[in-house]
Amino acid sequence: MIALTIYLLIGAGLFLFLLVMARRKNTPVEGCGEEFVQARRALRTLQLGLLPANLVERIFDRGDFEYVTAESSREICKLFLAERKRISLIWVGRVRGEIRNLMHFHLGYSRFQSKLSLRTELRLALDFVLLLFACRTLRLWLYLRGPYSAPAMVGIAAGAAARVCRISEQSLEFLNPVAGDSFQNDSTPGGAAI
Amino acid sequence: MSNPAKRKDVMAATQDLRRRTLAHIPQPLERLIFLSSTRDYNTGLYRHEGLALRFSEEASCEALADCHRDAFNELVAASLRDLVHQLKRYADNSKASLSEFIGAWRELEPYRVAIPAGADSLSSELLFSNLKIALAILETRLMAPWVGKPSASPRPSLVR
Repeated sequence: MIALTIYLLIGAGLFLFLLVMARRKNTPVEGCGEEFVQARRALRTLQLGLLPANLVERIFDRGDFEYVTAESSREICKLFLAERKRISLIWVGRVRGEIRNLMHFHLGYSRFQSKLSLRTELRLALDFVLLLFACRTLRLWLYLRGPYSAPAMVGIAAGAAARVCRISEQSLEFLNPVAGDSFQNDSTPGGAAI
Repeated sequence: MSNPAKRKDVMAATQDLRRRTLAHIPQPLERLIFLSSTRDYNTGLYRHEGLALRFSEEASCEALADCHRDAFNELVAASLRDLVHQLKRYADNSKASLSEFIGAWRELEPYRVAIPAGADSLSSELLFSNLKIALAILETRLMAPWVGKPSASPRPSLVR
């Protein structure tokens, strides 16, 4: 009886595994253009809008805080801290959101196009999980302790996000226009209203 | 016009704009306000008669847009100390008194319409937030001029 139960459990496990594999293969490749475009948009937002070193430095720079503390009243200090906290929470929330977008893309579609090695894929999966956890922790920390409470964690999160972006770029490389279309790519997102 | 030729034209227009016009506007805040004033808010297109005469309308528009984005990025990267300095200088160069200027900027927030199209919302929020604080610092200085200056003599006491 025990042996039969074990065999049944193994059988059920294998059946579930096959079901999952079959479902993965049925993901439509033809209609996933929108997902690729969204993933590229998320990547550009991260690289150009949220992760540039000078922007991250400006948001979390203690120099501004020291200047306000030295130069102005307590009310302005409070206003400054409240504003920086708001901005830092927006930053970490948006980084997390865009990382999730990229993760969904990798889970669903990137394997049809990308030539990532198994090792890189595993590294990427680990990075995604750790990064989402780090963002959530950082958000809580910033909310409770203010914008200057975790500079090391900010650096780690920004560095890990940049690493994820670099790997994701490989998966989306085929979407980049070939030479001849370079003029449009010179502008920052949005471009001029011509 | 082919893309490389168009690009060359835009680069030439950008250089010309920087050399002839923007060289006389050293502060990014002043440049941002000036460049945003060349934009038609109904169409989003930039217009500069002189530049359009020397180059094409399209190239001049793109050059103005590029310089507008550059000014915005410079301003976002500026420290709060630098921003307060720029704002004070901008107010001094305007015809309004400092108190009038601060009042108008706090109420109307004209800087909100001065950002370039396509600017990231976080960068814009950071700039608006910094400008709000810079205005508050300037206002404090206006009401209590000794605040923030190195004290050569003891602060005047309100209590005799």
